[in-house]
Amino acid sequence: MKKTLWVLAAGLALCMAAPLAAHHSWTADYDGGKPVTVKGVVSKVEWTNPHTHFYVDVKNPDGTVKTWNFEMASTLALERAGWTRKTLPVGAEVTIGGFGGRAVTERAIAASITTADGKALFVGKPGQ
Amino acid sequence: MRRLIFFSLSIAALAIALAAAQAAPPAQEQPRVFRLGGANGPEAASEDPNRPVPKLADGTTDLSGIWAGGGGEEIPRLLKPGELDQILQPWAKKLMSTRTDGMDPYQYCMPGGPLRLTGGFAWRFVQHPTVNARYIFQLQEASAHTYRQIFMDGRKHPEDPTPTWLGHSIGRWEGPTLVIDTIGLNDKFWLDGSGIPHTEQLHLIERWTRTNYTTLKRDVTIEDPGAYTRPFTVSYTAKLGTPDSEIMEYICIENNQYGLAQGIQPPAKGETGK
Repeated sequence: MKKTLWVLAAGLALCMAAPLAAHHSWTADYDGGKPVTVKGVVSKVEWTNPHTHFYVDVKNPDGTVKTWNFEMASTLALERAGWTRKTLPVGAEVTIGGFGGRAVTERAIAASITTADGKALFVGKPGQ
Repeated sequence: MRRLIFFSLSIAALAIALAAAQAAPPAQEQPRVFRLGGANGPEAASEDPNRPVPKLADGTTDLSGIWAGGGGEEIPRLLKPGELDQILQPWAKKLMSTRTDGMDPYQYCMPGGPLRLTGGFAWRFVQHPTVNARYIFQLQEASAHTYRQIFMDGRKHPEDPTPTWLGHSIGRWEGPTLVIDTIGLNDKFWLDGSGIPHTEQLHLIERWTRTNYTTLKRDVTIEDPGAYTRPFTVSYTAKLGTPDSEIMEYICIENNQYGLAQGIQPPAKGETGK
Protein backbone atom coordinates (compact mmCIF):
# COMPACT_ATOMS: atom_id res chain seq x y z
CA MET A 1 0.00 0.00 0.00
CA LYS A 2 2.82 2.34 0.92
CA LYS A 3 4.46 1.65 -2.41
CA THR A 4 1.24 2.40 -4.24
CA LEU A 5 0.88 5.65 -2.40
CA TRP A 6 4.46 6.57 -3.20
CA VAL A 7 3.84 5.91 -6.86
CA LEU A 8 0.76 8.12 -6.70
CA ALA A 9 2.72 10.77 -4.84
CA ALA A 10 5.34 10.66 -7.55
CA GLY A 11 2.50 11.03 -10.04
CA LEU A 12 1.39 14.09 -8.12
CA ALA A 13 4.84 15.59 -8.37
CA LEU A 14 4.95 14.83 -12.05
CA CYS A 15 1.56 16.12 -13.01
CA MET A 16 1.95 19.24 -10.88
CA ALA A 17 5.10 20.09 -12.80
CA ALA A 18 3.86 23.19 -14.54
CA PRO A 19 3.59 22.26 -18.19
CA LEU A 20 3.99 25.88 -19.15
CA ALA A 21 7.44 25.87 -17.68
CA ALA A 22 8.57 22.66 -19.19
CA HIS A 23 10.47 22.25 -22.35
CA HIS A 24 8.48 19.14 -23.04
CA SER A 25 5.24 17.69 -21.87
CA TRP A 26 6.60 14.56 -20.16
CA THR A 27 3.38 12.64 -20.73
CA ALA A 28 3.98 12.60 -24.47
CA ASP A 29 7.05 10.41 -24.09
CA TYR A 30 6.33 8.60 -20.83
CA ASP A 31 3.43 6.63 -19.46
CA GLY A 32 2.26 7.66 -15.98
CA GLY A 33 0.59 4.26 -15.74
CA LYS A 34 3.89 2.46 -16.20
CA PRO A 35 5.79 2.93 -12.91
CA VAL A 36 9.26 1.40 -12.84
CA THR A 37 11.88 0.96 -10.15
CA VAL A 38 15.35 -0.40 -10.86
CA LYS A 39 18.49 -0.93 -8.82
CA GLY A 40 21.79 -0.82 -10.60
CA VAL A 41 25.02 0.98 -11.34
CA VAL A 42 25.39 4.25 -13.23
CA SER A 43 27.27 3.40 -16.42
CA LYS A 44 27.10 6.73 -18.26
CA VAL A 45 26.16 10.33 -17.45
CA GLU A 46 25.01 12.84 -20.07
CA TRP A 47 25.17 16.23 -18.33
CA THR A 48 23.36 17.89 -21.17
CA ASN A 49 20.32 19.89 -22.22
CA PRO A 50 17.46 20.08 -22.76
CA HIS A 51 17.64 17.25 -20.24
CA THR A 52 20.21 15.19 -18.44
CA HIS A 53 20.34 11.42 -18.94
CA PHE A 54 21.65 8.80 -16.56
CA TYR A 55 22.27 5.32 -17.91
CA VAL A 56 21.97 2.55 -15.34
CA ASP A 57 23.15 -1.04 -15.82
CA VAL A 58 20.78 -3.46 -14.15
CA LYS A 59 21.66 -7.12 -13.68
CA ASN A 60 18.96 -9.58 -14.60
CA PRO A 61 18.47 -12.79 -12.59
CA ASP A 62 20.04 -14.73 -15.47
CA GLY A 63 23.24 -12.70 -15.22
CA THR A 64 22.69 -10.57 -18.30
CA VAL A 65 22.77 -6.80 -18.01
CA LYS A 66 20.16 -4.38 -19.30
CA THR A 67 20.98 -0.68 -19.62
CA TRP A 68 18.24 1.76 -18.74
CA ASN A 69 18.24 5.36 -19.98
CA PHE A 70 16.70 7.63 -17.36
CA GLU A 71 15.81 11.15 -18.41
CA MET A 72 16.13 13.82 -15.74
CA ALA A 73 15.68 17.56 -15.41
CA SER A 74 17.81 20.11 -17.26
CA THR A 75 21.28 20.99 -16.02
CA LEU A 76 19.81 24.35 -14.99
CA ALA A 77 17.22 22.81 -12.70
CA LEU A 78 19.71 20.39 -11.18
CA GLU A 79 22.51 22.93 -10.72
CA ARG A 80 20.15 25.46 -9.18
CA ALA A 81 19.18 22.69 -6.76
CA GLY A 82 22.78 22.08 -5.82
CA TRP A 83 23.79 19.29 -8.17
CA THR A 84 27.01 19.19 -10.14
CA ARG A 85 27.94 16.83 -12.95
CA LYS A 86 29.74 14.75 -10.33
CA THR A 87 26.83 14.33 -7.91
CA LEU A 88 25.88 10.97 -9.37
CA PRO A 89 29.03 9.63 -11.03
CA VAL A 90 29.64 6.60 -13.16
CA GLY A 91 29.98 3.60 -10.88
CA ALA A 92 27.50 4.83 -8.26
CA GLU A 93 24.92 2.34 -7.04
CA VAL A 94 21.42 3.74 -7.22
CA THR A 95 17.78 2.87 -6.97
CA ILE A 96 15.79 4.89 -9.47
CA GLY A 97 12.03 5.09 -9.65
CA GLY A 98 10.10 6.66 -12.46
CA PHE A 99 7.90 5.92 -15.42
CA GLY A 100 8.64 3.91 -18.54
CA GLY A 101 8.58 5.22 -22.08
CA ARG A 102 5.37 4.75 -24.01
CA ALA A 103 7.09 2.71 -26.71
CA VAL A 104 10.43 1.85 -25.09
CA THR A 105 10.09 0.99 -21.39
CA GLU A 106 13.86 1.13 -20.77
CA ARG A 107 13.82 4.77 -21.85
CA ALA A 108 12.28 6.02 -18.63
CA ILE A 109 11.87 9.27 -16.77
CA ALA A 110 13.20 9.51 -13.22
CA ALA A 111 10.94 10.55 -10.36
CA SER A 112 13.17 9.49 -7.46
CA ILE A 113 16.79 8.57 -6.94
CA THR A 114 18.20 6.97 -3.84
CA THR A 115 21.92 6.39 -3.47
CA ALA A 116 23.47 3.30 -1.84
CA ASP A 117 23.73 5.12 1.51
CA GLY A 118 20.01 5.87 1.51
CA LYS A 119 20.22 9.51 0.49
CA ALA A 120 17.41 10.84 -1.68
CA LEU A 121 18.57 13.15 -4.45
CA PHE A 122 16.56 15.98 -5.91
CA VAL A 123 15.37 14.90 -9.34
CA GLY A 124 13.53 17.98 -10.50
CA LYS A 125 10.37 17.68 -12.44
CA PRO A 126 10.10 15.75 -15.66
CA GLY A 127 10.15 17.72 -18.82
CA GLN A 128 12.25 20.50 -17.40
CA MET B 1 -6.63 14.17 -24.45
CA ARG B 2 -3.43 15.45 -22.85
CA ARG B 3 -5.41 17.97 -20.88
CA LEU B 4 -7.85 15.28 -19.81
CA ILE B 5 -5.00 13.14 -18.52
CA PHE B 6 -3.51 16.12 -16.72
CA PHE B 7 -6.84 17.00 -15.16
CA SER B 8 -7.57 13.43 -14.10
CA LEU B 9 -4.13 13.03 -12.59
CA SER B 10 -4.50 16.30 -10.73
CA ILE B 11 -7.80 15.25 -9.20
CA ALA B 12 -6.42 11.85 -8.23
CA ALA B 13 -3.33 13.50 -6.83
CA LEU B 14 -5.35 15.86 -4.67
CA ALA B 15 -7.36 12.98 -3.31
CA ILE B 16 -4.28 11.13 -2.17
CA ALA B 17 -2.16 14.11 -1.17
CA LEU B 18 -2.72 13.75 2.56
CA ALA B 19 -2.16 10.03 2.52
CA ALA B 20 0.91 10.45 0.36
CA ALA B 21 2.41 12.77 2.93
CA GLN B 22 2.36 9.83 5.32
CA ALA B 23 3.85 7.53 2.72
CA ALA B 24 6.92 9.44 1.69
CA PRO B 25 9.83 7.45 0.30
CA PRO B 26 12.07 5.97 2.97
CA ALA B 27 15.09 8.05 2.05
CA GLN B 28 15.73 11.40 3.73
CA GLU B 29 14.38 14.49 2.00
CA GLN B 30 16.51 17.45 1.06
CA PRO B 31 15.41 20.93 2.06
CA ARG B 32 13.57 22.69 -0.74
CA VAL B 33 13.45 26.33 -1.71
CA PHE B 34 10.70 27.96 -3.69
CA ARG B 35 11.83 28.20 -7.27
CA LEU B 36 10.13 30.07 -10.06
CA GLY B 37 9.01 28.13 -13.10
CA GLY B 38 8.87 24.78 -11.35
CA ALA B 39 12.42 23.69 -10.72
CA ASN B 40 13.92 25.44 -13.71
CA GLY B 41 13.81 29.02 -12.68
CA PRO B 42 15.79 31.00 -10.15
CA GLU B 43 14.88 31.18 -6.52
CA ALA B 44 12.06 33.71 -6.05
CA ALA B 45 13.09 37.14 -4.83
CA SER B 46 12.45 37.67 -1.14
CA GLU B 47 12.16 41.45 -1.41
CA ASP B 48 9.01 43.17 -0.21
CA PRO B 49 6.77 43.43 -3.29
CA ASN B 50 5.59 46.81 -2.04
CA ARG B 51 9.01 48.40 -2.31
CA PRO B 52 8.95 51.25 -4.84
CA VAL B 53 9.37 50.15 -8.44
CA PRO B 54 12.91 51.23 -9.45
CA LYS B 55 13.50 53.85 -12.15
CA LEU B 56 16.42 54.50 -14.44
CA ALA B 57 18.15 57.88 -14.64
CA ASP B 58 15.90 58.92 -17.52
CA GLY B 59 12.79 58.22 -15.47
CA THR B 60 11.73 55.07 -17.29
CA THR B 61 10.93 51.93 -15.35
CA ASP B 62 13.89 49.71 -14.54
CA LEU B 63 13.00 46.28 -15.91
CA SER B 64 16.38 44.73 -15.29
CA GLY B 65 16.79 41.76 -13.04
CA ILE B 66 16.17 38.13 -13.62
CA TRP B 67 12.61 37.10 -14.35
CA ALA B 68 10.69 33.86 -14.81
CA GLY B 69 7.26 33.50 -16.37
CA GLY B 70 5.55 36.14 -18.45
CA GLY B 71 4.75 33.92 -21.41
CA GLY B 72 4.49 30.39 -22.62
CA GLU B 73 1.11 29.41 -21.25
CA GLU B 74 -1.25 27.79 -23.71
CA ILE B 75 -3.40 30.57 -25.14
CA PRO B 76 -6.70 28.64 -25.01
CA ARG B 77 -6.30 28.41 -21.24
CA LEU B 78 -6.06 32.20 -21.02
CA LEU B 79 -9.25 32.83 -22.98
CA LYS B 80 -12.84 32.87 -21.84
CA PRO B 81 -14.85 29.67 -22.39
CA GLY B 82 -15.86 29.46 -26.04
CA GLU B 83 -13.66 32.38 -27.08
CA LEU B 84 -11.15 30.27 -28.99
CA ASP B 85 -13.92 28.89 -31.18
CA GLN B 86 -15.05 32.40 -32.08
CA ILE B 87 -11.53 33.62 -32.79
CA LEU B 88 -10.21 30.91 -35.09
CA GLN B 89 -10.94 31.01 -38.80
CA PRO B 90 -12.20 27.64 -40.12
CA TRP B 91 -8.89 26.63 -41.72
CA ALA B 92 -7.02 27.45 -38.50
CA LYS B 93 -9.50 25.45 -36.44
CA LYS B 94 -9.05 22.49 -38.75
CA LEU B 95 -5.25 22.70 -38.67
CA MET B 96 -5.16 23.05 -34.89
CA SER B 97 -7.24 19.89 -34.50
CA THR B 98 -4.58 17.91 -36.34
CA ARG B 99 -1.60 19.20 -34.39
CA THR B 100 0.09 17.08 -31.75
CA ASP B 101 3.04 17.65 -29.40
CA GLY B 102 5.40 15.85 -31.71
CA MET B 103 4.80 18.39 -34.51
CA ASP B 104 5.75 21.41 -32.40
CA PRO B 105 9.08 22.85 -33.62
CA TYR B 106 9.76 23.97 -30.04
CA GLN B 107 10.07 20.31 -29.06
CA TYR B 108 13.03 20.14 -31.42
CA CYS B 109 14.72 23.18 -29.89
CA MET B 110 13.57 25.74 -32.45
CA PRO B 111 12.53 29.19 -31.16
CA GLY B 112 8.97 29.66 -29.99
CA GLY B 113 8.51 33.27 -31.09
CA PRO B 114 8.17 36.25 -28.76
CA LEU B 115 5.53 34.70 -26.49
CA ARG B 116 7.60 31.64 -25.64
CA LEU B 117 10.84 33.57 -25.26
CA THR B 118 9.75 34.04 -21.69
CA GLY B 119 8.36 31.28 -19.52
CA GLY B 120 9.51 29.03 -16.73
CA PHE B 121 13.17 29.44 -17.50
CA ALA B 122 15.03 32.55 -16.45
CA TRP B 123 15.30 35.56 -18.75
CA ARG B 124 16.33 39.19 -18.57
CA PHE B 125 15.48 42.57 -19.98
CA VAL B 126 18.66 44.51 -20.74
CA GLN B 127 18.09 48.25 -20.99
CA HIS B 128 20.57 50.73 -22.33
CA PRO B 129 21.50 52.82 -19.30
CA THR B 130 21.37 56.22 -20.96
CA VAL B 131 18.73 58.67 -22.09
CA ASN B 132 17.30 57.99 -25.57
CA ALA B 133 18.20 54.33 -25.47
CA ARG B 134 18.42 52.77 -28.89
CA TYR B 135 17.70 49.19 -27.88
CA ILE B 136 16.22 47.00 -25.23
CA PHE B 137 17.17 43.35 -25.37
CA GLN B 138 15.52 40.29 -23.96
CA LEU B 139 17.93 37.48 -23.22
CA GLN B 140 16.50 33.99 -23.18
CA GLU B 141 18.14 31.26 -21.17
CA ALA B 142 16.07 28.51 -22.82
CA SER B 143 15.06 26.89 -25.01
CA ALA B 144 16.57 28.45 -28.13
CA HIS B 145 19.10 30.28 -25.91
CA THR B 146 18.64 33.42 -27.95
CA TYR B 147 17.99 37.15 -27.70
CA ARG B 148 15.30 39.53 -28.88
CA GLN B 149 16.12 43.03 -30.08
CA ILE B 150 13.59 45.80 -29.49
CA PHE B 151 14.31 49.11 -31.20
CA MET B 152 13.64 52.09 -28.93
CA ASP B 153 14.87 54.92 -31.14
CA GLY B 154 11.59 55.80 -32.79
CA ARG B 155 12.16 54.00 -36.06
CA LYS B 156 9.21 52.50 -37.92
CA HIS B 157 8.72 48.94 -39.07
CA PRO B 158 10.18 48.20 -42.51
CA GLU B 159 7.65 48.17 -45.35
CA ASP B 160 7.95 44.49 -46.17
CA PRO B 161 10.10 42.73 -43.56
CA THR B 162 11.45 39.29 -44.26
CA PRO B 163 9.58 37.04 -41.82
CA THR B 164 11.75 35.77 -38.98
CA TRP B 165 11.32 33.73 -35.79
CA LEU B 166 11.22 36.79 -33.51
CA GLY B 167 10.12 39.41 -36.00
CA HIS B 168 10.79 43.14 -36.07
CA SER B 169 10.06 44.80 -32.73
CA ILE B 170 9.80 48.52 -31.97
CA GLY B 171 9.20 49.80 -28.46
CA ARG B 172 8.09 52.96 -26.70
CA TRP B 173 7.18 54.00 -23.20
CA GLU B 174 3.64 54.95 -22.27
CA GLY B 175 4.20 56.22 -18.74
CA PRO B 176 5.41 53.23 -16.71
CA THR B 177 4.48 50.75 -19.44
CA LEU B 178 6.82 49.45 -22.12
CA VAL B 179 4.84 48.91 -25.31
CA ILE B 180 6.40 46.59 -27.90
CA ASP B 181 4.94 46.32 -31.38
CA THR B 182 6.07 43.35 -33.46
CA ILE B 183 5.46 42.31 -37.06
CA GLY B 184 7.54 40.35 -39.57
CA LEU B 185 7.08 37.02 -37.84
CA ASN B 186 7.30 33.75 -39.74
CA ASP B 187 4.76 30.95 -39.47
CA LYS B 188 7.31 28.23 -38.73
CA PHE B 189 6.96 28.40 -34.96
CA TRP B 190 4.00 27.69 -32.76
CA LEU B 191 2.79 30.47 -30.48
CA ASP B 192 2.31 27.97 -27.66
CA GLY B 193 2.04 24.28 -26.92
CA SER B 194 -1.61 24.14 -27.92
CA GLY B 195 -0.69 24.59 -31.57
CA ILE B 196 -2.94 27.59 -32.21
CA PRO B 197 -2.04 28.50 -35.81
CA HIS B 198 -0.92 31.88 -37.08
CA THR B 199 0.29 33.36 -40.36
CA GLU B 200 2.96 35.84 -41.43
CA GLN B 201 0.34 38.57 -40.88
CA LEU B 202 0.73 38.10 -37.13
CA HIS B 203 0.95 41.38 -35.23
CA LEU B 204 1.70 41.46 -31.51
CA ILE B 205 1.25 44.47 -29.25
CA GLU B 206 2.74 43.82 -25.83
CA ARG B 207 2.28 46.04 -22.81
CA TRP B 208 4.81 45.32 -20.05
CA THR B 209 4.12 46.94 -16.68
CA ARG B 210 6.08 46.39 -13.47
CA THR B 211 3.05 46.46 -11.21
CA ASN B 212 5.14 46.08 -8.07
CA TYR B 213 8.74 45.35 -7.18
CA THR B 214 8.55 41.63 -7.85
CA THR B 215 5.83 41.42 -10.53
CA LEU B 216 5.87 42.18 -14.23
CA LYS B 217 2.55 42.05 -16.04
CA ARG B 218 2.40 41.46 -19.77
CA ASP B 219 -0.79 42.07 -21.73
CA VAL B 220 -0.56 41.01 -25.34
CA THR B 221 -2.99 41.90 -28.09
CA ILE B 222 -2.75 39.29 -30.82
CA GLU B 223 -3.90 40.22 -34.29
CA ASP B 224 -3.73 38.09 -37.42
CA PRO B 225 -6.31 38.67 -40.17
CA GLY B 226 -4.95 35.56 -41.86
CA ALA B 227 -5.89 33.22 -39.01
CA TYR B 228 -8.24 34.96 -36.56
CA THR B 229 -11.62 36.60 -36.93
CA ARG B 230 -10.67 39.50 -34.62
CA PRO B 231 -7.84 40.69 -32.36
CA PHE B 232 -7.82 39.30 -28.84
CA THR B 233 -5.81 39.93 -25.68
CA VAL B 234 -4.12 37.56 -23.26
CA SER B 235 -2.25 38.34 -20.03
CA TYR B 236 0.83 36.81 -18.49
CA THR B 237 2.76 37.46 -15.28
CA ALA B 238 6.49 37.24 -14.64
CA LYS B 239 8.03 37.09 -11.18
CA LEU B 240 11.38 38.44 -10.06
CA GLY B 241 14.21 36.10 -9.13
CA THR B 242 16.77 36.72 -6.41
CA PRO B 243 19.23 39.53 -7.20
CA ASP B 244 22.20 37.15 -7.15
CA SER B 245 20.70 34.70 -9.65
CA GLU B 246 22.01 34.61 -13.19
CA ILE B 247 20.88 33.22 -16.51
CA MET B 248 22.75 30.05 -17.35
CA GLU B 249 23.81 28.23 -20.49
CA TYR B 250 21.27 25.88 -22.02
CA ILE B 251 21.91 24.47 -25.46
CA CYS B 252 18.73 22.60 -26.21
CA ILE B 253 19.92 20.99 -29.39
CA GLU B 254 22.86 19.36 -27.63
CA ASN B 255 21.06 16.17 -26.59
CA ASN B 256 17.38 16.41 -27.37
CA GLN B 257 15.88 12.93 -27.20
CA TYR B 258 12.27 14.05 -27.42
CA GLY B 259 10.05 11.45 -29.04
CA LEU B 260 12.38 8.47 -28.84
CA ALA B 261 10.68 6.96 -25.78
CA GLN B 262 7.30 7.21 -27.52
CA GLY B 263 8.70 5.72 -30.69
CA ILE B 264 8.84 8.75 -32.98
CA GLN B 265 11.89 10.08 -34.73
CA PRO B 266 12.50 13.82 -34.99
CA PRO B 267 11.42 15.31 -38.31
CA ALA B 268 14.00 16.72 -40.65
CA LYS B 269 14.77 20.38 -39.99
CA GLY B 270 12.42 22.66 -41.85
CA GLU B 271 9.61 20.14 -41.91
CA THR B 272 8.10 21.07 -38.58
CA GLY B 273 5.37 23.48 -37.74
CA LYS B 274 3.24 23.58 -40.85
